[in-house]
Amino acid sequence: MERAIRVEGLTKRFGAFIAVNDVSFSVKSGEIFGILGPNGAGKTTTLEIVEGLQKPTQGQVNVLGMDIARDSARVKARIGVQLQSSAYYDYLNLREILALIGSFYPKRISPDLLLEQVGLQDKATHRVRQLSGGQQQRFTVAASLVNDPELVILDEPTTGLDPQARRNIWGLIREINQRNVTVVLTTHYMEEAESLCHRLAIMDRGKVVATDTPQNLISNLRSTYTVTIMSLDTLTEDQLLSLNGAVSSVQIQENNTYVIRLSDVPRALDSVLEGIVHNDIRLEHLKVTPVTLEDVFLELTGSELRD
Amino acid sequence: MLALTVANLKMMARNRHTTLWSLIFPLMLVVVFGLFSNFGGSNPSLAVIDQASTPQSQALVKQLSSISFLSSEPDQQIDDVQSEIESGTLDYLLVIPENFGAGGQTPPTLTYSSNNPERNQLVVGAISNVIVSSKIAESQADDGSLAALVSTEITVQNVSFFDIALLGLVSLGIMTSSIISVAVKISTYRGQSILKRMLVTPLAIWKYFAAEIAAHLLLALVQAAIILAVGVFIFGAQIHGNLAWIFIIVLLGSLVFLNLGFILSAWANTPSAASGMGNIIAMPMLFFAGAFFSTTSLPWILPYVAQALPLTPMLTALREVAIYDAPLWQVWPQLAALGGWIAGTAVVAIKVFRFS
Repeated sequence: MERAIRVEGLTKRFGAFIAVNDVSFSVKSGEIFGILGPNGAGKTTTLEIVEGLQKPTQGQVNVLGMDIARDSARVKARIGVQLQSSAYYDYLNLREILALIGSFYPKRISPDLLLEQVGLQDKATHRVRQLSGGQQQRFTVAASLVNDPELVILDEPTTGLDPQARRNIWGLIREINQRNVTVVLTTHYMEEAESLCHRLAIMDRGKVVATDTPQNLISNLRSTYTVTIMSLDTLTEDQLLSLNGAVSSVQIQENNTYVIRLSDVPRALDSVLEGIVHNDIRLEHLKVTPVTLEDVFLELTGSELRD
Repeated sequence: MLALTVANLKMMARNRHTTLWSLIFPLMLVVVFGLFSNFGGSNPSLAVIDQASTPQSQALVKQLSSISFLSSEPDQQIDDVQSEIESGTLDYLLVIPENFGAGGQTPPTLTYSSNNPERNQLVVGAISNVIVSSKIAESQADDGSLAALVSTEITVQNVSFFDIALLGLVSLGIMTSSIISVAVKISTYRGQSILKRMLVTPLAIWKYFAAEIAAHLLLALVQAAIILAVGVFIFGAQIHGNLAWIFIIVLLGSLVFLNLGFILSAWANTPSAASGMGNIIAMPMLFFAGAFFSTTSLPWILPYVAQALPLTPMLTALREVAIYDAPLWQVWPQLAALGGWIAGTAVVAIKVFRFS
């Protein structure tokens, strides 16, 4: 399959600080590709290099078959970009902004059609500041589509939105993707990465630590279930780790709550539950959940991903 | 690029701050200056040079000082006084000849400029009356009051303080709107990542700046035209020179101030910092460049500092062309100075400008 983006050995240094450290990944044409990681992982810097906004310290970036270092103007004409927290002109209405941005491209879609695609057709003569947060975000997505791009890059398209507005944007992104547009997005929401993206790169501290489909990332994890218990007594980590040798990690939370991740060994769940009974641990509450991307992230980086 | 220029103009028109700074504020000052110079003016001044110094002449001087609407000036050398009439700082000069009241035939001479015919008539009449009613001259002139006073009218270019100030106000409007509004606008755009948003499109960067500059130059022309029109048609200012040349000088000056605005926008992290820095540069420059008051009497090195400011050649060129009807090539040193400023500030602006 053709590659929409190929990044090889990409490094970006700002003085002594290494924002992106020898990163390689590729995005297939037609997929929704997510870059998942906490703030400061290097997601935005990586994307800005792909978009031609920053120059790499080292490495190769190829977008739609063109070298971004040599052909940045041609690449820019064929991709659509939504920047993280970018505003638009205060004194132009939505239709005028889209017409203006469209005028910078050789190929463009009519502003009214774009507004219709994102459900803002009745706001054409409004200013951006008159829109709700979710509407503003939909508008910035529309602005990234003015040139009918083959590839759109969305930097944290749902950050700061309420759950309903977030799902609304997911629907919009899926629609765009169904028109055979490759989508690359960054997020620090697990749920978003898991339900929206065909494939994921997990980034942490400037490095890509894994690239795969969300399902494969989860099934590759040497763990199957998470058991969360709330105990009447205070327990130690060692006490829990020694539960029948089936525990891979323990996380201690408030109110005598413990999150136990099980090892990928046969009958792990049975043995841990047996161990709990056998060790006379007095339970107030117990919950068994299959592992999620959150667990994958913890396993790969040793730290938790937080909003 | 045309679309961006048009969009810029549209945004300027919709932005109340632009309108305020670029038009309302200078126009308010035009009104203030216009009102003061038309209605708030002091009494016409009269200087008397008494060459006779006889009891009669001294009595006359005393009587003249009782004319309530004339303010008398202390005695001065005759050359000085004449040049003051030409420059408009003195209105009337009366010379009482040596043989006055001593049987001589020469009447006193009143010299004034041709600027204000109605007032001249009034003043000539009043002074003649004083001389006649004092009966000093009666013995000398048998044919009555006609020979009591000889009038000399000096034809001078009609330049009022308001004419000069009006050009200063044009510069004020252009300078503040160029420096402050560009600095504020660009730092706002940078803060909101709008500049970055432009960079992810295939728009060439030079086109972005060209569109910004084109829109602002057009604004400067409209501003200059409106301010001049209000000054001329409402407050009776006089423009003698070629309007096209005035506008060319306005454009050159605007380019310098736009570049300064771009430079400030790079240094200012917030729009309000940009606005403050713009005012700190624009306001003192306005006064030091002599927009309203002469700078030659400033102490220490300040007159030289005044000469080095970019507003100074713009104002000088504007005055030469607008008031004294000089052709554009006659102000080439000022145009060259502006050219130097344009080039210098452009180099700095390109070096320091930042998109994020």
